[in-house]
Parts: sequence; structure tokens; C-alpha cells
Amino acid sequence: MSLLLILIPLLSSLAIFALRGANVRYVALAAAVANLAVTAAAWAGFDSSAAVNHAFSAPWVPQAGISFSLSMDGISLLLVALTNLLAPLIVLSSYNRSFGQDARYYGLVLMMIGALNGVFLADDGLLFYIFYELALIPIYFICAIWGGDDRIRVTLKFFIYTFIGSLFMLVSLLWVYMQTNVEGHHSFAWTDLVQVQLPEHTANWVMIGFFLAFAVKMPVFPFHTWQPDTYVSAPTGGTMLLSGIMLKMGIYGVIRWMVPLAPEAMHTLAPTFITLAVIGIVYASIIAIKQSDLKRLIAYSSIAHVGLIAAGVLAWNKTGVQGGLIQMLNHGINVVGLFYVVDLLERRLGTRSLSDMGGIAKSAPRFATLFMIITLGAVAVPLTNGFPGEFMLLNGVWKYNFWAGLAAGFTIIFGAVYMLRAYGLAMFGTANESTERFADVEIRDWIVLSAIATLVILLGFFPQIVLNLTDASVNRILGAVQI
Amino acid sequence: MKSLLILFIGAIVVLFAGLGKKKGLLQPLALIASLLALGASVFDLNMGDATGLNERYADMFGFDQYALVFTAVTLVAVSLLIGLTGWGFRTLSDTLGDNLGLILFSVCGALVMFSFQNLTMLFLGIEILSIPLYVLAGSRRDDLASNEAALKYFLMGSFATGILLFGMALVYGATASFDLTRIAAAISDGQHSAGMLNVGILLILIGLSFKISAAPFHFWAPDVYEGSPNLITAFMSTVVKTAGIAAFYRLFAEGFIGAQGFWSTSVAAISAMTMVLANTTAIFQNNFKRMMAYSSISHAGYLLLGILSIGNAASNGAGALLFYTLTYSIATICAFAAYMVVAEQNRDGSFAAFNGLGKKQPLLALMMTIAMLSLAGIPPTAGFFGKYFLFTSALDEYPWLVVLAVINSAISIYYYFKVIIAMYFSREENDYAAPVPAGFRWVMLTALVLIALLTILPGSVYALI
Repeated sequence: MSLLLILIPLLSSLAIFALRGANVRYVALAAAVANLAVTAAAWAGFDSSAAVNHAFSAPWVPQAGISFSLSMDGISLLLVALTNLLAPLIVLSSYNRSFGQDARYYGLVLMMIGALNGVFLADDGLLFYIFYELALIPIYFICAIWGGDDRIRVTLKFFIYTFIGSLFMLVSLLWVYMQTNVEGHHSFAWTDLVQVQLPEHTANWVMIGFFLAFAVKMPVFPFHTWQPDTYVSAPTGGTMLLSGIMLKMGIYGVIRWMVPLAPEAMHTLAPTFITLAVIGIVYASIIAIKQSDLKRLIAYSSIAHVGLIAAGVLAWNKTGVQGGLIQMLNHGINVVGLFYVVDLLERRLGTRSLSDMGGIAKSAPRFATLFMIITLGAVAVPLTNGFPGEFMLLNGVWKYNFWAGLAAGFTIIFGAVYMLRAYGLAMFGTANESTERFADVEIRDWIVLSAIATLVILLGFFPQIVLNLTDASVNRILGAVQI
Repeated sequence: MKSLLILFIGAIVVLFAGLGKKKGLLQPLALIASLLALGASVFDLNMGDATGLNERYADMFGFDQYALVFTAVTLVAVSLLIGLTGWGFRTLSDTLGDNLGLILFSVCGALVMFSFQNLTMLFLGIEILSIPLYVLAGSRRDDLASNEAALKYFLMGSFATGILLFGMALVYGATASFDLTRIAAAISDGQHSAGMLNVGILLILIGLSFKISAAPFHFWAPDVYEGSPNLITAFMSTVVKTAGIAAFYRLFAEGFIGAQGFWSTSVAAISAMTMVLANTTAIFQNNFKRMMAYSSISHAGYLLLGILSIGNAASNGAGALLFYTLTYSIATICAFAAYMVVAEQNRDGSFAAFNGLGKKQPLLALMMTIAMLSLAGIPPTAGFFGKYFLFTSALDEYPWLVVLAVINSAISIYYYFKVIIAMYFSREENDYAAPVPAGFRWVMLTALVLIALLTILPGSVYALI
């Protein structure tokens, strides 16, 4: 089952590269839907009381203790579900663009999906690293081929930033690997790596190595400078992949690899990391308020939201981690919805600038409603999906430190300010020539946006679906990793 | 030994067949010789078991597992290169037999360098490898750059050989033998003149560094690489480098292991200097071949990490070198093959020559992309495993050098990506009207399959020695 989740997208991406026909986009959609079906089947057969589900393992380089082993627990399944839920929506949203017929684009998107599934399923340190890097290659090409102006400089900066970050992670991983001893050999298996007891001084360096990789990916202040430019210049599908799924790789890495491998360093380093995350929340929120480019505004809001998730997870108590997990799912859904809206507006109006919009609510009421629901989700209004996650995250950070919790609380206030301001400027106010003629949503847009809006409401009413899924796994990982 | 004989006979046959009229037969003949030799070496290999056969010839040659696997790696590279000669050498029809024969003779020298048990054989191997290359570098007789390259290569090579010979003489003076086992025994007994030995080792180190183009003895490489015909450049940066580093490893692991305390610092310093100088210079290159020259120098720096793992029982430095040279050779040949087609139409040789290749020639561009990603060591390409094995082999004793190597691999992304950026992202597009020659297509597909296999099953090659 786990293997299928990786093989379906990777093989169909190869098939798409080879086919190059006009109808590759349907192949891509079929592959994404097939993957979603496999995910659903995996969820149906999931046993949360067992430590691992759907495990697959094959030796890869046995001499060096590397194996191709995959498995899932509740945390992995949640992220796999996020990835494969968004994949069809992302493919579908790309139909509108000029690359609608381009085989390379769909091949790269599917390759990315396969790699992301691999990241979330990998049970072997080196395999995790390889998938982590593999995910970078397709997104680099997507952003650099189909991006906007200045894309070459921006994407190369993005690539080098993240690649160097991951190299530090590789060094840390290798260091821990060298300390393992399974019958006289080193091993990359997660269970063996977790056993390693590091002296606190070494653990600090190991954790810093991991943190650099994940902090760049999330991104946490001050490693975020690549992010707004890349999000803005990337094509919408690429932005959705980056913000919806790829940044979750960083948070997942913290939960699965960074803290469990070097828990000894948490006492020393967690306060610093949480401080950085909280600074990022406030900083990005303030910048977001001043933005007039809608895409850039959402890019900064993403930094703020991810900062909160990072702070909650790093507090490493049950409320925080559980809140982080549910918020990863919900942020992924909301941000993909928001970027879809931005893409739709840009496609119709030829601009992303808020000052050129206004009065759309009058000419396109259905669109305005759907946009409103997604906006409310992003603002974390109670009974939308954003609320339980943000509430638990704040609670977790609060438990860790009162002042950090207080500062992080600004995310909700600021979030309401910049999101509602953007919504108001775009949808209300006086209409201009182009917004007056703004037609309401077409069927394809309607499918994507209403799917997202349904999820926003559904997960707002029933967060328990997610919490139950991850509960046992979170207990297990918190119990195994004492800090 | 079988491989060596087959190659030698093949070279003579090709040389004489070149006098005849049927030029079309020459390339298949050379390819058959190379593939037969490859088959012979693989046939003798003991798969999955590091203690293979050990043919010894009067303590001069020893065809053990180590020699066989490196022979196989080299012959894979040579076969791929010969596959390119049909089109690559088409302007040399009157001297085609000579050129192919010289390539095969040169490979004989590489085989001797893999199997020597005696310093005189090492010297002969290096000379057999180098002398045909001096001629090949100048094989475009009417081209001034090619002539310059040949002369530079010849002069620098002669200097290096002189220094190497002087070093060997001093080692002989110190240990009273040219035989590797006796040298090792003399060093471990302590019955030798330490000063003379150390100077001798140092001179040999310098001589070999010239051959693998490690800093600060690399200055010949960019000019020679740029001036030589493309195929010969590919040959130099793959076969010659593999032969050099394999001989280096055997000599230091079997002969000079007792003096490790003395030479390991120098090797580490050369490695560090090579990586840093080559990578920082490569960033500023605008010419593809010069960039590849510096890239090849930087890879010499990484390869030296394998030499530093000598004496560490926990790491498999030889296996790492083997895997690295194989992936490096395949990727480099792919890159040069794609470049040869591109350079045919856009002669300036700068990165701009690749503009728009991604749209016009997708297969070529894909090969080039995979080659560049592999050279940069980006997962999951085979080059990543090469770097991984090599870096971990030295991590125990030289963590600082490994960190430096990792930083340098990150720097290298910048210049390897210049090619990718030009191929796919450039708004300007060149014409690539000519179709890809048939031989090239086969070579590239073979190389693609090999890279894929090495990615999926890296352990099977790594564990051969």
C-alpha cells in the first residue's frame, strides 16, 4: 500500500514524459485520483493501535545499513492524506493555464507528489533525505520554466537555499548514523537512530543541522527570504505545491526526525527556536497587512501561520503537537483555496493588485460566498477548520511559556485584519470597468472551490476525525521521546 | 590478463585495418575488442565476494579483484566512448584507424596501472597510457588549439613523469626494492632511510597529482581540455582519471601504508586545495569545456578522500572510489556527448550554446540534465551515492575535510545548473536542426539505463571490493 502511493505518481510521471500527447492532463488527473483512492483504502485499513501500518521494506544498500523501508502511523497518514487530497485539485487547477497541454508540467507535478509521499512514508533516514531532495527537483523546474519575471534568479536562490539547508541535515543524519550499532554495523532505520543517546553538546549541533534544513523549508524567520519571491513568481500550481504541501515537509521533519533524534538538545535550543518562530509570526503578519499584491499577502500570511505551527510543535506537549498536525492539514487546504482564488482573479482581471479590484461580490455572488468561507477558515473563525488547530496551538505554546503564547496570539488578530481587509478591498467597494463584467464561477472552478469550502466547514465541525487519527501516534512519539 | 591481451590484439588489428579501404569496419572492430575485454574482466570477477581470483605474473602484475573491477569500469567508459567515435571522428577518416588504435593502446596502459605489483610496471603503465594521448590531443592537425593542447599536455606530462621517476628512484634507494610488498615490508621493519623515503613518496605524490590533475598541479588541465577534440577530452577526464586514482590507491594502500602518518596530511591538504580552487574557479567560467575541466579537477579533490580512508578497516574506500569513478565517468561521457552535438551547430562553446535545447532536442537535454544532476551529487541520482560512499569513507578521520567537501558540492550546483538554466529556462532559443546521430542515441540510452541501475542498486557495485 505504501509503495503504491509512491509508485503510482512516479511511474505515471514517466509515462507522461514518454507520451507527450495532448491528453496527458487527463492521465495526470487519473493518476492523482487513483492515488487518492489508494489513500482512502489505506485509511480504511488503518489500525491506530498498531505502531506501524502498511509497512514495506526491502534492502537497498545492506552493506551500509540503508534499506528502502516505508510505513505509516497516524501522523504520516494525515500528511499523505493531505498530499493526495490536494493533488487532484492542483492538477485540475492547472487546466486553466497555457501549459494545459504541456506534458512536462504534469509529469513534474506527479513526480513531486510521489516524492512528497515518500518523504512522509520513509522509515529510513537516508531514504527520507533522498525523497526530501527529490521533491526539490520537480518544483525547481516548475517554478523556473513557467514562473513569472525574474524567475531564474529567484528559483536558483530558492534551490541553493534549500539544498544547503538539507546538506546540513545530511551531516547531522550521518553523525547520528555513525553512532548506531546494530550487530557491528551502522543503520539508518528510524528505530535504530532513535536509540542513539548523544551527549548534550553534540546533540545541540545535530539539532541545529536538522533545524537549518527544516527552518528553510517551512520557512521560519530569518530563513524565509526566499519564500515570498518564489511564491509570487511561481505558477499557481507550483505555489500550491510549495505552500500547501511542501512546507509541511519541514514541520513533519521536526516531529519525526529532528526532535526524536536529538531530544537532548531540546532544553537548550527549543526556547531559541520558539522565539524565532514567534518573531516570524509577528513580523510576517505586519508585512502582510501592508501588502497590496494579493499573492504576496497570502505568501506572508503563510509564514505567519507556519510560524505558529512550528512554535506549537516545538513546545512538544500533546496539545501543541496535536494542534500542529490538525493545522497542517487545514492550512494546506485553506492556502490552496486562497491561491486558487488569486489565480482566478488574476486570470480574469490580469492583475493581482488589490487596488485594481472591488465590487466583485455584486457581480459574482457565488464566487464571493466560496471565497468568504475559505477566508473565514484562514482567519480561524470558530466552526471553520482553522479554529481548532489555532486554538490548540496557542494553548500548547501558552502552556510552554505565557509570553510566547501571548505574542503568538497576535496571529489571530492580525490574521483577521489582513485577510478581511484583502477580502473587503477585492469583493466590496466600488466596482471598476473590469470587475463589473466579472462573470461568476465556471463549473471547473466551482468544483475545486466548493470542494475546498466543504472541507473548511466539515473539518470545522468535526475536527475529531483528524484528532482521533493522530492521537495514538502522538502519544507514542511523545512517550518515546522524553525531553 | 585476458582483457589486456584482447585489447592489445584488438588495437593492433584496428591499426592495420585502418590501412585498408573499409573504414566503416573500424568502429565496430574497436567496439568488439572493448566489449570482449569487458566481458573477459566481468567473467573473471567474483560477484558478491571480495576475494576473487588472483593471477600473478612474476610479481610484476597481479590481476586481483581490485584490478578486475577497475578494468570493468574503464571498459564500460571506453565502450561508450567508442560508440561516439562513429560521428565524433568522422572528419578524421584518413587517420581513423590510428586514432581508434591509439585509444585502445592507451587503455592497455590503464589496465597495467590497475594491476601493477612493481613500481616499474606502474611507470610503464603511465607511459603507455600517456603517450598515445599526447598524439590524440593533437589529432585535429589543422587546428591550432589542438596542437597547443598536445604540446602542453606533452610537456607537462613529461615533467610529471620525470618527477615521478625521481620519486621512485628515491623510494628504491630507501627500501632497496621496486616491489610493492617488499617496499611495504621494508617500511614496516623500520629498516630504511626515513628521510629519503619521505622525499620519494612526496615526489611520487606530486607526479600522480599531475596525472589526476589535483591542485596545485592542475594548471595544464583547462587549456588541454579546451583545446583537445571533444572525444579525447572526455577520454582524458574519465579513463585517465580513473586509472590515475586507482593506481594511486593501490600504490599507497599496498606499498606506502606504513608511512601513512607522513603522507596523509599532504593528501588531505591537496584534496582540500583542489576542491576549493576548482570549485571557486569553475563558477566564473563561461565556456562549457573549461567548466567541465574545472569540474573534473574538483572531482579529483573528492576522489582523494578515498585515498585518505586507507588504513581504516571500518570503511570501504576502494569500493567508494570504484562506484564514484563509474558514475562520474558515465555522467561525464553523457555531458560531452550532448555537448558534441550542440557544439556542431553553435560553435562558441559558451553556455549560451545550450539555449532552448530543452524544447528542440528533449532527449539530449534530458541526458544533459541527468548528467549535471549526477555530477552535482543531487539525490536520487547515482552521483549522490558516489559522493555519499566516498564522504562517509573519510568521515571518521577527516570530518573537517568532509564538511569542506559538502560545502564544495553545494557550490558546484551553481555552475552545473548554468547548463540546465540555459537549456530549459532561457527565453532565447538557438536552432538545433540536425538530428542526433544514431550512435549517440544508443550510447545515451545505455548510459541512462546504467545510471538508473546504479541508482536503484548502488550496493551491488559498491560491495564488489
